[in-house]
Amino acid sequence: MYFNTLKKIFTAAVLCFFTADTHAEIVVIGNLKNDLKSLNSMQVESIFMGRKRPLPNGRVALPIDQSGLRPEFYEKLTARPIEQINAYWAILTFTGKASPPMLSPDDNAVLGMVNKHRDAIGYIDSKNVNNSVRVLLRLN
Amino acid sequence: MKVNYRTIPLLLSLIPFFIKVAVAENNPSSWSIKGFGTLAATGTDTDKIGFYRDKSQTQDVDSGWGITTDSQLGLQVDWQASDSLQATVQWIARDHAGNFIEQNLDWAFLRWSIQDDLDIRLGRLGVGVFSLSDYRNVSYAYPWIRPPHEFYSTIPYYHFDGADITKKFTLNEGDLSVKVYGGYSYNQLPTQTAGVNNQQSPATGANIHYEKGEWQARLGYTYATITSNPPIQDILTPINSPLFAKAWPDLKQIIPAITMRGKAYHFGSVGLAYDDGTWLSQMEAAYTASNTLWSPTRATAYLSLGRRFSTVTLYSLLGIAKTFQHEIIVPSPLVSNPSLLNDQQQLSCILNNNAINEQSISLGTRWDFYENMAFKTQWSHYWLGKHNGPQQWQQSIGNTTPNTVNVMSVGIDFVF
Repeated sequence: MYFNTLKKIFTAAVLCFFTADTHAEIVVIGNLKNDLKSLNSMQVESIFMGRKRPLPNGRVALPIDQSGLRPEFYEKLTARPIEQINAYWAILTFTGKASPPMLSPDDNAVLGMVNKHRDAIGYIDSKNVNNSVRVLLRLN
Repeated sequence: MKVNYRTIPLLLSLIPFFIKVAVAENNPSSWSIKGFGTLAATGTDTDKIGFYRDKSQTQDVDSGWGITTDSQLGLQVDWQASDSLQATVQWIARDHAGNFIEQNLDWAFLRWSIQDDLDIRLGRLGVGVFSLSDYRNVSYAYPWIRPPHEFYSTIPYYHFDGADITKKFTLNEGDLSVKVYGGYSYNQLPTQTAGVNNQQSPATGANIHYEKGEWQARLGYTYATITSNPPIQDILTPINSPLFAKAWPDLKQIIPAITMRGKAYHFGSVGLAYDDGTWLSQMEAAYTASNTLWSPTRATAYLSLGRRFSTVTLYSLLGIAKTFQHEIIVPSPLVSNPSLLNDQQQLSCILNNNAINEQSISLGTRWDFYENMAFKTQWSHYWLGKHNGPQQWQQSIGNTTPNTVNVMSVGIDFVF
């Protein structure tokens, strides 16, 4: 009986873990000194896919990727798996047309970069957002 | 080693200007090193003819299999001097005739982004004649083990020294880019009997690329003139000798046909691609007009269709290449000497053996087993027609072309 109870608790814990991970909300963030209030998903996609770097206010965006959330971010943004995004960037990179966004290791590093650079645009888990940055878009 | 020195003074004179631009923007510079590669084994089911990825290679492959056909390793160093100024150098270790260092340097340029939608690049640039031309070594970027053979093996040119200008527009919610380029191409290509052919050709061209959603379309045109001759001294020396002048005076009539200096190529192409994340399709068609005997006028095309199942892609590929070649009649000698008649037959065989007459079907798989790595397998079945010659295959002069060849490949692509 104890075994069955333990099994249920373990199963519930595992499900909670994976559910939380799979449905994490990602927020696109910017620097408070930049007067940009929000971006739509098309604008964020253009910036992170190397198509256009100017922001709606005329300043040039500095996009920042992060290794931890990168597959999930691009899946939510473009509905394509990370392998296809990598193949896309391989063409742009190795034909000298564009360079992929700078890569940061985690949410803290992205927050640091966005705080430091006025035109930086990054993405983090919504749980870790704070008042030092502005949320420009929410991706569910 | 022969290096094209013409562009060096021009590049040096522009360095102070670019440094001024970089300093004026007062942004920190950054460096990055990236790379790509393929480790692949390729083999065929015959020893009668050898398979090349394209004719810049020195090693063909037959039933003995080999790894040089599709294996390569590329390294790229980027220096972002400022928001608007970037330098890029890319070198690839691969099987290429001629100077190993110089011929494998595909990119070495400065890019100045005058505006966000206007770029100028100056230096050594990848040849962009067709859609895949300037990234055909980056196998990770496409589904196949190699670019379609009928289409890309006929263009064994990877780089030129010059400049290009790209202007981007937004059109109907899509992205339109127009590129104009020009420069000087120096390519070392192997020949069957006379070592390396140092081919020099000024080239200029333009292409238009439009991308919207799942669709991409491309139109391209390139014009190139040849300013060098192939190493045909083995043929010219006897033709110009006093002995031949008496016994075979009409033979000199073929000299204009076999020289290349001053002759031209016109490459025209159209391409269309679709990729919705699940289904992917791509086609290109090209017409290459030429008045050179060694690389006659031809039409080439391919069509590929693929379907992704999670990390596995299954694809098919159809290709066709045909030349429009008229037979070269080698004049008869005045004297019916058996040796001269044999020479006439041999010469006729060489001059009329430059056609491309090839069709193929390929089936393959790509498995993205890791984030930056893909495992590929491909089987290609080629039908080789009459007069299909050594343009794309290793074929001994006078040997009969087999009607069909199967080419099998397995490999791993990666980027880092």
